[in-house]
Amino acid sequence: METEFSGYQVQTEYFEGPLDLLLHLIRKNKMNIIEVRLSQITNEYLAYLEGKRGLNPSRESEFLMTAATLIYIKSRSLLPKPENMDDDSPEKQLIHTLIEYEKIQKISRMLREMEYTELLLWRRLEMNESFANREYELKEVSAFQLAEIFFDIVKKKEYEQFLEIPSKNYSIATKQEELLALLAHSGYLDFSEYISKLDSIEELVVSFFTLLEMVKRHLLIAVQEQLFGTISLYRNEPGKLEN
Amino acid sequence: MNPEALSRQIALIEALLFVSKEPVEPGRIMEFLGLDDIEEFEKVLAVMEKDQLLDRPERGLMLKRSGGGLQLVTKPDLHDELKQFFTIKQATKLTIASLETLSIIAYRQPATLTEISLMRGVNSTGPVKNLLQKKLIKITGRKQVPGLPALYATTPEFLVYFGLNNLSELPSLEELTELFEEKEQPSLFK
Repeated sequence: METEFSGYQVQTEYFEGPLDLLLHLIRKNKMNIIEVRLSQITNEYLAYLEGKRGLNPSRESEFLMTAATLIYIKSRSLLPKPENMDDDSPEKQLIHTLIEYEKIQKISRMLREMEYTELLLWRRLEMNESFANREYELKEVSAFQLAEIFFDIVKKKEYEQFLEIPSKNYSIATKQEELLALLAHSGYLDFSEYISKLDSIEELVVSFFTLLEMVKRHLLIAVQEQLFGTISLYRNEPGKLEN
Repeated sequence: MNPEALSRQIALIEALLFVSKEPVEPGRIMEFLGLDDIEEFEKVLAVMEKDQLLDRPERGLMLKRSGGGLQLVTKPDLHDELKQFFTIKQATKLTIASLETLSIIAYRQPATLTEISLMRGVNSTGPVKNLLQKKLIKITGRKQVPGLPALYATTPEFLVYFGLNNLSELPSLEELTELFEEKEQPSLFK
């Protein structure tokens, strides 16, 4: 977060959005936010936009929109109008937004300090770690991870010697019943263990698609407790995903 | 209270806080210990904190009150060495965008995505999603306006994350201004 030191700003000059940049320009020009004449900093704002220096690249359209508002305000200020600063003039509105945004920045700074003090204290269930892990509990992610493990195992199988046995017809429907029966028996299924026990590539493929289908239809939940850990499959019971 | 009973109670409090993953409400502990006087309980806690935890340099834990409960946490000065032991590169801090979004939600809750985006001057879908995923905010309902937008509010996890017991512990906007003005004043005369 920038302060009024211009020397300090050099390394931290990065603007989240147009309001951030405007506040920076107001401070830099030592203006009072309540009496600021936005038309005076319009040129500087546009120069930043042109140079694109320190601007959040994904926010280009929002920077441009504010530029349009600024130009509009400037053009209005050129017109001889006595009641230029009535309550709902675009300038008043923008200044109001800026005052509010300045408060938000202050609160953010306070929260950052509080966050810093709290991050020094470690809890039983380390908050940071649980944050990192939580992402792997997401179904979308586990589907990719399922695929990764699946291809690993297929690769391993390729090096194994197989006895050719007459092919059996596997279908997703029968496989699903088989899996549900297994789950009803043991409560959960270790994905890698199960899949490496299968003998033929064909059965492997069918099992894998069945699992994906079941996860997709919310019949199963795939949970990975830690990064690179094994994936466990559970019957989906309401409420289980919450924790 | 006789010293033996006191030691026993302190031992029990320490043990149950050690096992608990989340802050434990003082009321639950009092009920468990058969105490109905909050002041008496506070006295037990004070003895525990002073004689056994905080003031003893050889102890690595301290008592922390946040999220409306009690918790055992490590002492702040152990942070760097703990980080080495658990080989954690850096604590995941919230981004500025997330902090700004959280500021608005904390002070104006419940707030809609549109309100947040307007106040920040940028679309805030990303940070809102991120905060939902981290469970620092939740959807509390829908605003009765066209489109029925979701209303967001902070969660108990928010309180724990920032070491607060309840939302009223957040400084008011006036206090906040003073807080930062005191810090900023000297620099004006540089």
